[in-house]
Amino acid sequence: MADVVLKNVDKRFDKNTVVRNVNLEIRDREFVVLVGPSGCGKSTTLRMIAGLEEVTSGEIHIDGKRVNDVPPKDRDIAMVFQNYALYPHMTVYENMAFGLKLRKYPRAEIEARVNETAGILGIGHLLARKPKALSGGERQRVAVGRAIVRKPKVFLFDEPLSNLDAKLRVQMRTEISKLHNSLEATIVYVTHDQVEAMTMGDRIAVMKDGEVQQVAAPLELYEKPANRFVAGFIGSPGMNFLEGRVVFDNGHAAFDEGSLRLPIPDGMRKALAPWRDREVTFGIRPEDITSVDANKDWQEARQIRATVEVVEPTGSETFLYMTTGRYPFIARVDAFVDPAINTELPLLVNMARAHFFSREDEAAIV
Amino acid sequence: MSTWNYVIYPVLLGYLVIVVYPMAWLLYTSLKTDREIFLAPFTLPDWADLQWINFSRAWTVGQFGDYFLNSAMLTVLTVILSLLFAAMAAYALSRFRFFGARPLFFFFLAGLMVPLQLAIVPLFFQMKDLMLLNSRLGLLLVYIAFGMPFAIFILAGFFKSLPSGLHESALMDGAGELRAFWHIMLPLAKPALVTVGIFAFLGTWNEFFMAFMFLSGENAESLRTLPLGLANITIVSQYRSDWGMAFAGLVLMMLPTMAVYALLQRQVTKGITVGALKG
Repeated sequence: MADVVLKNVDKRFDKNTVVRNVNLEIRDREFVVLVGPSGCGKSTTLRMIAGLEEVTSGEIHIDGKRVNDVPPKDRDIAMVFQNYALYPHMTVYENMAFGLKLRKYPRAEIEARVNETAGILGIGHLLARKPKALSGGERQRVAVGRAIVRKPKVFLFDEPLSNLDAKLRVQMRTEISKLHNSLEATIVYVTHDQVEAMTMGDRIAVMKDGEVQQVAAPLELYEKPANRFVAGFIGSPGMNFLEGRVVFDNGHAAFDEGSLRLPIPDGMRKALAPWRDREVTFGIRPEDITSVDANKDWQEARQIRATVEVVEPTGSETFLYMTTGRYPFIARVDAFVDPAINTELPLLVNMARAHFFSREDEAAIV
Repeated sequence: MSTWNYVIYPVLLGYLVIVVYPMAWLLYTSLKTDREIFLAPFTLPDWADLQWINFSRAWTVGQFGDYFLNSAMLTVLTVILSLLFAAMAAYALSRFRFFGARPLFFFFLAGLMVPLQLAIVPLFFQMKDLMLLNSRLGLLLVYIAFGMPFAIFILAGFFKSLPSGLHESALMDGAGELRAFWHIMLPLAKPALVTVGIFAFLGTWNEFFMAFMFLSGENAESLRTLPLGLANITIVSQYRSDWGMAFAGLVLMMLPTMAVYALLQRQVTKGITVGALKG
């Protein structure tokens, strides 16, 4: 096992910069998820670690060794592809044994390793089949098996679950997490699905437009997003944003949207002082807005009124799509709340959990 | 069965007869005596007295045995070598970006557009200067070269269509470019290789013009291929009629072609990448 370090890594295709100045230290045995919308450069970053794309500038180190000019076959890395990329002319056994054969392992050891890995993944009964005779989930397992049978230094996963149906995806998600624990492997995992990122990663690197926005543990990312993009990308449904100004009167700070005025808790006042009378973005997560009759112990709650547009019951909770003033927002309320459409509803906003972002560079203020 | 079938089946049946009847006629005529052939060209042979001897005479007296071996040797080598070289060239031209890749590809394609008849005279003199006239090696080289444009055209298109994930997967598994080509990409190109192989086989096996041009020396009689031999027999037959033997020779020449069709046709249509990627 090994660590992976990216130093000032750039990738340009002709004149297009697709990855810009990425710095990332992936520790030994760590599970790091690269997440972001499509086209954000996360797959390209992964492919540069794999050696499938050349690095335009910057350095990549694996296990302390600079690998910029090391071909993929000598990097001792395994990769699971989005479309599995199983060799169609080989059986499952041959698919898994291929990498070991190339490395000239003795036949007996190849057989032992393939059988052991097949046992772990529950694909022992499929070894004689060709990929076309497998279901999507089985192909996925074989692709994972082909990667782990070699016991490489680093595992790379490129959106491996995106072709599976929802239920299978959740199942494989936990299985890959378990696998990570039992293999004690360094894993770099690319996905566009923030739920996958949150549930699987030790740390998450959020990318946008080729740049890393923030690298942090899942809950830290959720609680302390570095900027408006990360705040909006992580969490489902996403954070609500309202644009307005910070105002101070009588020693009290407030966020003023025009039609709506929300008091800013004392704890945030200091950080927001330089932003007095300036434009900011106010962010609040759906679960920090609730119905007035919910029995929440919120110290800094503030009541607002908003119009219900859509009611989305999920069983365990209900999402309300509402508008107040100029802005639509989503509230996550208890399942028993079932308001009529187009009625006005009083809601509580937990201001202690408010986020504020600069309007200029969208960085988090507090 | 829809009404459409009532129309299409008779049409297809008619087509079948047009295609199959001449071959059947050829087959049974090869078992008749010359006298039978001329008196009743379309009747079936006398089942009690089939002229199997036509075949043994064609093989020995007509020298079809020698021609057959010459043709077989040339054809096998042409198919194998042109597939190998074309596959390597097509792979490089279709999957790697390097300076001059596109002009080179079009240079190969241009070969498809040059009629053989135009090239034959300069080629003849070039072969003569290289001392490659009246030699099997010379003819082999020409066959391989003329087979390349078509083979590269088909194979390059096929290699391009193969998912790059498989190639990358092989690299990640620890293969260099050569192994990735040999163990993964080449086996995956099997349908295209079979297609190209069949065309190379047919083209070479039936090829007359170039063989006639380059093996026409006096001392090259022992090097003649089947089409040349067949032409020779027909010429001779004008004076000393031996049509039974000529037909037997034709059948001998036809058999490998039909065998190839029968054995490999399914391979051509069978897509091998099914199941490699997401359903």
